[in-house]
Amino acid sequence: MTRLVKTVTEMEGRFEEKWVLVEDDGLVSWEAEAALRHVGHPTPRLTGPQRVSGAARYTVDVALPGMLHAAVLRSPVAHGRVTALQVAAAEAIAGVRAVLTPASELGFQQRSGPLHDEPLYAGAPLAVVAADTLAAAREACRALAPSIEPLPFTVDIETAWQEQRFDGDLHEEARGDVEAALAAAAVRVELVVSTPGQLQTPIEPHAAVAWWKPDELVCFIATQGMFDARAELAKRFDLPPERVRVITEYVGGGFGGKQNAGFEALIAAELSRRTGRPVRLVLDRHGEQLDGGCRPATRQTVRLGATADGMLTAIDAEALVEFGMSGWRAVTTPALTLYRCADVRGIEANLRLELRRGNAFRAPAVMEGITALEQAIDELAIETGLDPLELRRRNFADRDQSADLPYTSNSLLWCYDRAAELAGWPDRDRWREPQADGLLRGMGCAAQIWWGGGGPPSHASCRLGGDGVAQVVVGVQDIGTGTLTAARMVAAEELGLPLDRVTVRGGDTAPAIYGPVAGGSQTTPSVMPAVRGAAAAVRRKLLALAGDVFEAEPDDLVVDDGRIRSRDGGLDEPYTAVTAKLGQASIDGSGNRGPNPDGYRANTFGCQIARVAVDPGTGSVRVEGIWAAHDIGRVINPLGASSQVEGGILQGMAYALSEQRVIDRTTGVPVNATMDDYKVPTMMDTPPIVVAFAPLPDTLLNTVGAKGLGEPPIIPTAAAIANAFRHATGRRAAALPLTRARVLEAIA
Amino acid sequence: MSTFCRPTTLADALAALAEPGSRVLAGGTDLSGLIDRGLASPTTVIDVQDAGLDRIERCGAGVRIGATATLATVAVSDLLTRWTALREAAAAAASPLLRNVATVGGNLCQHTRCWYYRGVEWTCWLGGGDTCFAQIGEHERHGLQPGDCISAHPSDLAPALIVSDATVVVASATGIREQPVAALYRRPDVDDRSLLTLGPDEVITHVVLPAPPDASVYLREGQREAFSFPLVGLAVARFGERLVMAAAGVANIPHLLDPDDVLHDLPGNPQSAWKRTVLATLASRGRTAVTM
Ligand SMILES: Cc1cc2nc3c(=O)[nH]c(=O)nc-3n(C[C@H](O)[C@H](O)[C@H](O)COP(=O)(O)OP(=O)(O)OC[C@H]3O[C@@H](n4cnc5c(N)ncnc54)[C@H](O)[C@@H]3O)c2cc1C
Ligand code: SF4
Repeated sequence: MTRLVKTVTEMEGRFEEKWVLVEDDGLVSWEAEAALRHVGHPTPRLTGPQRVSGAARYTVDVALPGMLHAAVLRSPVAHGRVTALQVAAAEAIAGVRAVLTPASELGFQQRSGPLHDEPLYAGAPLAVVAADTLAAAREACRALAPSIEPLPFTVDIETAWQEQRFDGDLHEEARGDVEAALAAAAVRVELVVSTPGQLQTPIEPHAAVAWWKPDELVCFIATQGMFDARAELAKRFDLPPERVRVITEYVGGGFGGKQNAGFEALIAAELSRRTGRPVRLVLDRHGEQLDGGCRPATRQTVRLGATADGMLTAIDAEALVEFGMSGWRAVTTPALTLYRCADVRGIEANLRLELRRGNAFRAPAVMEGITALEQAIDELAIETGLDPLELRRRNFADRDQSADLPYTSNSLLWCYDRAAELAGWPDRDRWREPQADGLLRGMGCAAQIWWGGGGPPSHASCRLGGDGVAQVVVGVQDIGTGTLTAARMVAAEELGLPLDRVTVRGGDTAPAIYGPVAGGSQTTPSVMPAVRGAAAAVRRKLLALAGDVFEAEPDDLVVDDGRIRSRDGGLDEPYTAVTAKLGQASIDGSGNRGPNPDGYRANTFGCQIARVAVDPGTGSVRVEGIWAAHDIGRVINPLGASSQVEGGILQGMAYALSEQRVIDRTTGVPVNATMDDYKVPTMMDTPPIVVAFAPLPDTLLNTVGAKGLGEPPIIPTAAAIANAFRHATGRRAAALPLTRARVLEAIA
Repeated sequence: MSTFCRPTTLADALAALAEPGSRVLAGGTDLSGLIDRGLASPTTVIDVQDAGLDRIERCGAGVRIGATATLATVAVSDLLTRWTALREAAAAAASPLLRNVATVGGNLCQHTRCWYYRGVEWTCWLGGGDTCFAQIGEHERHGLQPGDCISAHPSDLAPALIVSDATVVVASATGIREQPVAALYRRPDVDDRSLLTLGPDEVITHVVLPAPPDASVYLREGQREAFSFPLVGLAVARFGERLVMAAAGVANIPHLLDPDDVLHDLPGNPQSAWKRTVLATLASRGRTAVTM
């Protein structure tokens, strides 16, 4: 039955009540013990060979006949007024077809214009040129030779705080009386921690190719949310959504920074509208590192109160955020939810600086918050003399502390035990004994909480043709997480087909099958139930037809391994015994994600342990191992899941050790907005990583039992490393990343 | 717009180089970045990789390395087994992909990595402006010597060659000269901001290594394990009782150290002073390594 139901949906901790279309598929979640043929078995990525051979066509690879190339002129100052642009000089350059400046009348509406005559951060777009070649477009940008009157700026969080330059209101959430609880606490710790600005640094920069055709706007966009991109383009250009098509075949990394259509698609579409030609706009690396977005830096103060035996009685978390996303306050969320505690307060101030505003970056805000909170918890363990994991176990929260609701599932305690067992945690103090190589070693741990339950709306279709091959269509693009591979596994499972008889298509809005943005770790738990539903609908129809063909009762029939069998074993025929009779017709089914269970919160949990080796003579910190245990419900593809964890850990490790946007204090311009000076980790920096998943599907949450995994693994890594550094050296650095200078100062 | 030529003899290359505005290109790993960021705009780019300068061959008690030999070949050459510091430096520089194309001559002549010099938003003192932005800004990874330009020399090979007493052979249309590797470099001053002593018409043809040291080692610390310039790179060689030490990353050109007082002359700048600890540590480790 098809119904419209009102349900609460969640995305990155933002809860919203909305109407969603659901069709009851009658499926119950696979049980923990269910014998599954594909789901839960390591499966190589569907498009692996294309990706490594270069055959995969990313947005940056799209080349259309007659295509123009666009280049962006960016502000070289943090704040200024553009008093002149040499537009005529730019237009005079051979091959230039269009020049857009803040004065141009645009065919689309945006609250604050995409081009700035008063740039408020270095790298803000001032003008755009489209030309026959990229070289001509870049030359024209230079020819624009902007005259800029410099204006005062602030890029320092401390100054912004003193000047109370708030963006939006001070955000406060509290329960109980934290001050009184702190005053009464037997043990207190206070920790001030600074975290760095981190850049997503996708290998494929932000990119779009737009083609404004007479009856349709076609946009190839490197985006994490092709339907959001379509909605944005339609709204801004005032077009019906059906006349906008977004294609996102492959994405070379997004990490949260590629939402919606973005500057590049809007501008490319506008240039195409003006010139009648397809237009390609790809940020160059400098543009990407300046304007692709960031995880804003923070300065946080955490105060904890506890009983002598380590029961938390007060948690007070304060965060100053270096110009984060507007309206998104979650740095202190972990302080409010990770541990059981009655008297808690979180206060966040978002400060307005002349810097590129932060945007989503893998576990936005929560990772920053965990990085501070989990170091404070480590200090509390030291103060109380408790094993840091034991302290965490004692303060385990079995329900959501903020909402006062039970969780659909929570295996955090299992994660603590499993990570400890894998890492050899009970013996960790032996690493502190003098080491033959003179290095200082230590182990640290940290826990993680994140949402990631997913929810409706999310749809899928499935079509079984005469050849017995099923074609699944989903409304999401695979941003490199293996979504399409997982969809193939789920469909094959439900249809009883071998993997090679299921194809999956995504990355195109044209079929009008909706899927959510790949954000908030919601893709798997939202999309896979829809895929299962669509496949189940086809299976039911197939068995009904098999009943006709074989004169059997459909309920007595099952599918398995590409065959139709009767439960009593009397019948065993290939799929094609039925499908070959379809001729040109096909069996079609659709599926959707059902509503979330009422009265619950769905969250992911985990624990990571890090071991580091510190060279006291050079200040180098090397991570020698990470042991990660996460609760993400059912693991659909263990191979894809462990590579998600590895990638998250590497990004988290870099946050602790090497990645940091460095801003020149005298000009307010980032000095390392390049890949030579912005240090993402390399293969040689990669430590051994051991991954485990809690063996409990979340059967309450959805019909496949899966929660999300995109964000969880990045969250605890930096804190675990900082705690390992503390264990190794007896010192805590006041700021991350642990640069040589900071390490040598901390241990001096 | 530059024109490009790839002569097949040294003589042709030198003739082409005698034209004003031309510039030598080898692996291109540095020059292409400089051109891309508007820091170099040669009218003609002369690729010397077909000019027969890529051989590594015995030369008396030593070895002669052609200027276009790649770092990858230097790192594994059988002829260089006794120049440990040089092989280690070549193997540690950059990343495998870069080492496959980056050449010895290009490595010695690469320009500073100072982020203000390289950044399109600034024209700093070294680039012809009046301000060393690093001194009033972010110089945590810069040199330890005060001065007009506090940038940190980037080449791993230079210190390793200097402690090996290597010389460079330099040719131009008008002749050939040979000089110690250290003499390739100069401290920039107000009138001449270049870091090299090479004339615009000159090309390095070879690096010549005399008899090998009794022992040598190259120790370096980078920001990460690969693809990272030396924060501090220290080459140490021992000839009998004589110790020689030279470092990258501590001054704007390769820096010869006094083995008994390695921090002499290197007081540090406010944010970079931590490098003194690293240099002292590497020096003591290097001394131990070559005297064991
Ligand atoms: C990401 C990255 C990381 C790096 N990391 C390191 C590192 O860790 N350690 C390190 O030592 N280096 C490092 N490098 C620098 C790299 O080693 C040099 O770019 C390379 O060695 C230059 O050699 P090339 O042949 O590519 O030179 P080119 O780029 O072709 O030339 C460089 C310069 O030398 C001049 N030149 C070239 N050959 C000659 C010659 N025979 N005679 C006279 N002038 C000549 C050119 O005109 C140009 O000015 C790194 C580079 C990059 C891009
Ligand atoms: S250190 Fe040298 S290269 Fe860097 S800003 Fe100063 S003068 Fe320029």
